[in-house]
Amino acid sequence: MNVLEVANLNKYFNEPVRNQVLRNVGFQVERGEFVAITGKSGCGKSTLLYLLSTMDTDFEGSITIDGEQMKGKTNRWLAAFRNRNIGFVFQFHYLLPEFTTLENVMLPARKLGEYPAGRTEQRAMQLLKLLDVDAHALKRAALLSGGQQQRVAIARALINDPLIIMGDEPTGNLDSANSATVFGLFKELATERKQTVLVVTHDEDFARRADRRIHMADGSIVDA
Amino acid sequence: MKKRFTNIALSASIAATYMKAKLRQTLVATAGVAFGITVFIFMVSFIQGTNEYTQDVVFQQSPHLRLFNEVQIADQSLLDKCFPGVVNVVHHQKPKDILLNLKDANQVLEDLAGDPRVQAASGAITTQVFFRLGSSSFNGKLNGVNLEKEDQLFNLSGKIIEGSYEEVTVRTNSILMGVGLAKLLNVRTGDQVVVTTEKGGNFAVIVAGIFKTGLTDIDKQQCYASTKTVQKLLGAPASYLTEIKVKLLDKELAHEMSHELQARYHYQGSDWKKDNASLLEGDVLRKMIVYGVAGTILLVAGFGIFNILTMMIYEKMKEIAILKATGFSDSDVKGIFLTQALVIGAAGAVMGLAFGFLISYAVSKVPFNSDVMITLDHLPVSFKPVYYITGFTFGILTTALSGYLPSRKAAKMDPIAILRG
Ligand SMILES: Nc1ncnc2c1ncn2[C@@H]1O[C@H](COP(=O)(O)OP(=O)(O)O)[C@@H](O)[C@H]1O
Ligand SMILES: [Mg+2]
Repeated sequence: MNVLEVANLNKYFNEPVRNQVLRNVGFQVERGEFVAITGKSGCGKSTLLYLLSTMDTDFEGSITIDGEQMKGKTNRWLAAFRNRNIGFVFQFHYLLPEFTTLENVMLPARKLGEYPAGRTEQRAMQLLKLLDVDAHALKRAALLSGGQQQRVAIARALINDPLIIMGDEPTGNLDSANSATVFGLFKELATERKQTVLVVTHDEDFARRADRRIHMADGSIVDA
Repeated sequence: MKKRFTNIALSASIAATYMKAKLRQTLVATAGVAFGITVFIFMVSFIQGTNEYTQDVVFQQSPHLRLFNEVQIADQSLLDKCFPGVVNVVHHQKPKDILLNLKDANQVLEDLAGDPRVQAASGAITTQVFFRLGSSSFNGKLNGVNLEKEDQLFNLSGKIIEGSYEEVTVRTNSILMGVGLAKLLNVRTGDQVVVTTEKGGNFAVIVAGIFKTGLTDIDKQQCYASTKTVQKLLGAPASYLTEIKVKLLDKELAHEMSHELQARYHYQGSDWKKDNASLLEGDVLRKMIVYGVAGTILLVAGFGIFNILTMMIYEKMKEIAILKATGFSDSDVKGIFLTQALVIGAAGAVMGLAFGFLISYAVSKVPFNSDVMITLDHLPVSFKPVYYITGFTFGILTTALSGYLPSRKAAKMDPIAILRG
């Protein structure tokens, strides 16, 4: 069953001049697939990922996630959907600096409100341990190094067991050992928990070991 | 439902973290609101206390409604009666020499005693007199009253500072004299004074007691005696009464009832609002000043909150976007900033009420002596709960309003425009 279906996706930016960034993009991803998106800088990978994550709603064409059409939904609906189904890791970590590491990871789960606080905390600690930042759980996020913060951001993306994990160069700031850990974690989530992983990467090694690679050039998919 | 509650709790806990991080600004904003409310509570309590005190003093001496006769120029001259239908011109018409008594006054008093709206009604004779001291004479007003009823209406016996109230009720030709007038005439209880009536008769009366109402006008000019005594001085019959004073159970009915009674008995009449119009007018003005000043202060405090939240939203633009990216909705974000405004508002308001109360209480203990307000020994302060309720509501409303606009701005922000970098 396809978790993600994209058809005839076109994206334009109107500023500073009208410019088509995505051209007739279409592809499908099955549940549990580990997909790497590659391509030269500026070819539209981030733009595509933002559209798929439902944060950017300004597009032509169709995006269907888990059977739901994303076009025409309200902001509130999309926010709830994102909270439940999509774990997004930005290229830059984007943590909330005034909250502790643990609080940062727990926030999306508290918003989801599905589990009691104790259980959420346990789960967050578990993820922090997997990513080897559990020692900093009670420190304010701003006090961690860039690489540590990036791993906390990955833990945050995983806290609600999302249907799709999306990452925009999530290992860009990590050394090779930590990159390998993250790759292993994603791989495991895909095969064992049937969570779908969609990662933009420049790391050739990372891309090669994915189940499948989508290669883009100049706003179009050239090799899926 | 439960979901909504956890969402609000979550917004509140995020708000708490932000406020802790910006503790100093939060405290300054809270202090601003507290200051506004404190000033409001203190000013209202003090000004209203003073108002109520003066009103109490005045209204205690003032009947709710009065019925009386006034010298009036006839609106139809005798010529008009003799030659109707012709234009008759009479220059500088003079009033007829009529008795100022109220016709059938005793019957009216009986009627009023049976009226369920009336608490007490008392007939009285008021007349201008002169008091002599050596070669000089002083103008005064002698009130012949039903002493028992007058006491019910105005608690006259409670204002006696020398002599006895009982004595004047039993002894004819005895009077109660205002403290100011007694000082002027240099008399004490038991002294004899000579009273000259308007018609020129001279009578010796005994000062049986001295009273003090706190109102200089009354204390310097007025005397009380039994109706019988005054009727005797004026050479008038026992039915002669010039004024009926009425105290009602509900004083707000006075105006309406005064008209009703005037129409029924063909008397002139007045009510307490009419008699004290300038006092009541001043009351309204003072209230307007209080609310104006407090409103301005709260507006400034509200602007402080508006500024802090707006600044914080600009600083936290990226974080708001992150919250939205991880699934927080527009209304969650709005909730975070609105909560901050409301917490500042509520904390400020409660502190303001407490400080306002403390300052008012302290001021109410300040000794104060005044020649005008003789019965006053401390500064008058009013402690009505309604000021505190108004202050709290006022504070919450201003802060909610000043938090609403910035929070809406935060809610509207498009996360991706910021995170795209
Ligand atoms: N906010 C924007 N406004 C206008 N053009 C943009 C904006 N963001 C990206 N672009 C353009 O869209 C193209 C694709 O950008 P992006 O998706 O970030 O590329 P990639 O992530 O593959 O490096 C680039 O040419 C970039 O200049
Ligand atoms: Mg990019």
